[in-house]
Amino acid sequence: MQASERTLNEIKAKLPYVEVKKDKLLSVVYVQKELLINTLKAIKEDFGFKLFIDHSVVDTLEAQNRFEAFYILYNVDTKERIVVKTRTEHSLPSAEKLWFAAKWAERECYDMFGINYEGHEHLVRAFMWDTYSHHPLRKDFPLQGYETVELPSLNETVFGDTLSGTMNYRRTHTYVPTLKDLEYTERNRIKKKAQVVLNWGPLHPGTHGTMWFLFDLEGERIVQTDVILGQLHRGVEKLAEHEPYQQFLVYTDRMDYISALCSNQAWTVAVERLLGIEDIVPLKAKYIRTMMSELQRINSHLLWLGTYALDLGALTIFLYAFKEREKIMDIIEGITGARLTISYTRIGGVRMDLPEGALEVIESFIKFFPKELKDWEKILSRNRIWVKRNKDVGVLSKEDIYFYGLTGAVARGSGVFYDIRKLEPYDAYSMVEFDVPLGENGDCYDRYLVRIEEMKQSIRIIEQCVQKLKTMSPNEPFMAESQDPKKLKLTLDGIGLKVPAGEIYSSGENPRGELGFYINSKGGLKPYRVKIRPGSFYNLCVYPHLMENRYVADAVTILASLDPVVGEVDR
Amino acid sequence: MSIVALGIIIAIKVVVILAIILGIGAYLTLVERKVAAHIQRRPGPMVVGWHGLLQPLADGIKLLTKEDILPSSANQVLYNLAIIMALVPASLVFAVVPFGPEIHVFGYDVKPILTDVNIGIIMAFAFGSLAVYGVALSGWASNSKYALIGALRKAGIIISYEVVITFAALGPIMLAKSLSTYDIVMAQIHQKVWYIFLQPISFVVFVFALLAETGRVPFDIQEAEAELVTGFTVEYGGMKFGLFPLVEWYVEVLSLSSILTVLYLGGWSPINIPFVGFVDPLFFLGPWSGFIWFIIKVTILFLLVLWLHWTLPRYRIDQITTIAWKVMLPLALFNILITAFIAPLLRG
Repeated sequence: MQASERTLNEIKAKLPYVEVKKDKLLSVVYVQKELLINTLKAIKEDFGFKLFIDHSVVDTLEAQNRFEAFYILYNVDTKERIVVKTRTEHSLPSAEKLWFAAKWAERECYDMFGINYEGHEHLVRAFMWDTYSHHPLRKDFPLQGYETVELPSLNETVFGDTLSGTMNYRRTHTYVPTLKDLEYTERNRIKKKAQVVLNWGPLHPGTHGTMWFLFDLEGERIVQTDVILGQLHRGVEKLAEHEPYQQFLVYTDRMDYISALCSNQAWTVAVERLLGIEDIVPLKAKYIRTMMSELQRINSHLLWLGTYALDLGALTIFLYAFKEREKIMDIIEGITGARLTISYTRIGGVRMDLPEGALEVIESFIKFFPKELKDWEKILSRNRIWVKRNKDVGVLSKEDIYFYGLTGAVARGSGVFYDIRKLEPYDAYSMVEFDVPLGENGDCYDRYLVRIEEMKQSIRIIEQCVQKLKTMSPNEPFMAESQDPKKLKLTLDGIGLKVPAGEIYSSGENPRGELGFYINSKGGLKPYRVKIRPGSFYNLCVYPHLMENRYVADAVTILASLDPVVGEVDR
Repeated sequence: MSIVALGIIIAIKVVVILAIILGIGAYLTLVERKVAAHIQRRPGPMVVGWHGLLQPLADGIKLLTKEDILPSSANQVLYNLAIIMALVPASLVFAVVPFGPEIHVFGYDVKPILTDVNIGIIMAFAFGSLAVYGVALSGWASNSKYALIGALRKAGIIISYEVVITFAALGPIMLAKSLSTYDIVMAQIHQKVWYIFLQPISFVVFVFALLAETGRVPFDIQEAEAELVTGFTVEYGGMKFGLFPLVEWYVEVLSLSSILTVLYLGGWSPINIPFVGFVDPLFFLGPWSGFIWFIIKVTILFLLVLWLHWTLPRYRIDQITTIAWKVMLPLALFNILITAFIAPLLRG
């Protein structure tokens, strides 16, 4: 929910130097750059907007004060969201004292826009290597990059091929980091605090992807952790500026590739809200989307459970979980035609109707799955070794959740009621009944229990969706009809979909935390700027804090309980 | 018995024991994979041979024909010595394992034990302790941080659990009033009781120590594939890599299970009713039934180890050493105290 008129007026009364603006989609507070930190502090401490959601920059290309920075904050108690905006030429004060998460977001902006943050403790690039000299998300950076490196093909050098045929081979390429660049990046890290530095990753089975951790070890104890990201950085946000809204959908698949359907849904809903057509999306499409993304949530949690158990040495649960996961994959494949990168939703509906018999298959799955889950809980939940490895490991207090901008199961594991499905229901979530499990201690064990319970709640949601869908006739539409096709063209392929000027922040509850999309549209076929708020990225930022004075064995426990996916962290 | 005959008998024993141990060790990989597979609801190896019976052979050929890689910064001598130091002591334990009762072949009375020394148990534990050199050397010689951490973990565990296992074994030794493995079994047969009935605490402690010494779940932190990517063997390749799990997971488990059988389960003796006598459903095999009983007991112990391995998660290093020093060792000492009162009551 956007911050109400009353809250904005209160802020205006307390801080007379700010400008407030509220429209249907966003509540914005404008402030001068010099007063930014004071404003953020007041909004955080006096008005209770404690949870850090996101911070980034829009390159407006204007002559003066080129960059528009925004901070998205959330008040968990009153369920209000607020956006603080400021403009700058090239530098901003750092908000790292207020939120640690801002530190990582600022590193990203420094990397992508070249904004200099004053007072930032360790301002290095977030994704690109440190010797890289461009700032890719600036509007004057071309999509294909600067092709400066000569790279002759093998055919040319070995066989003397002149490349004169139809072969579309470009001899110049963008600069690719060499080993030297990576070494420089590694040396540029935080000052090491212990003799032994363990390179944990980028390719390591415990990191669940290509993440690069550096542990400073004192025996088995980890004194300091550093994370070097960017091994899977593909510039999704830059790509979004050059794709029509519908076609960007396929990139959301490839961000959090474990829960593609949920990401699809979050993006589609964000665009629908920006278009203002959320109400005309047919009920059937809403229920199908909800059901499918809950299936995907179970799928994703099963992968988490399997790898989590595998990391802690319980090898068998991994195969049990994957067996059930395979069944879900088959169901999803039968309905959507794809298993991993699904792109099933469409702006205004879904790609196709449910095939015959799909509901029966899902029904039989949700009938047997809870029994399996019970079996696994018997093996794990009360197991003394399991409890010993998880209890009091990686404890997060409520304040930590706000300070580090954590969302999803990690926030709920610490007892923070933060579930977008309840706070800001999209699609059919307002029409189904489910509970939000909350933890008490905020340790790995609570997060484990929360995720297990979430699977059971997902089953509940799917059950209700199936019941509802059974009552609908097969002839009901699954795609919204545009009242005025000249003004708004809603088609399955999404070609010619024009979105009016405006901006929105809309988010969905992914299995790995809140996946938010800040879309800035100047009207037309393509968005002007898309900022993705990745749940995994902010959930990962607490990792160095949690790893202080823990053992190497806890590294896997804590990382797996935060459950980041690198595709989403790096984008 | 002439010197020549004695020499031939010992030579035959060495060959038979080595062949059996290494052959069985290789085939236990298949057993493990099959058991694990069925625990995990999958068929396991099915392609090479009937139900994968030739799988160990295929694995062996694959490992032997792999390129022999030596890490550039490794210490070559220690790197290779580590393999020998891992394999030899683990196999030598079988020198003091009595596989069955004394048998009469070709006019000679032959004890099916390589050497019935009067300090057999101490020898077994001494060889067991030597195994740590293989691990420590491999970790050090590989010149890799992962290998080093794995080796240090293993050394930490072995140091903790060597103490525990020795104190646990003191119970049966006190009851049998002998250190010879052969005599300990004979003592159990004479006293008509397996020591598991008199020493339940020490038995449990011994089983845990066995799991820890052999690096089985829940104590497999030196391998810990999620954190250390197989720990101290990470820089080894081909058969050199294959030998470490073979030794650790199979030969050592077998040898310690044999010692466990000798100490607590009456060695080759049939099913025991405490203080009454023995029931032998395999009586028709004559003197050979003892061997079968020995094999059955070791097999059951091995399957128990496998069962635990494929079910439980693993402990953390600090938790493992805490259990060793704060729980297991006091229990073992307490057990010795009790045994000191029980031992004189038993007829020798």
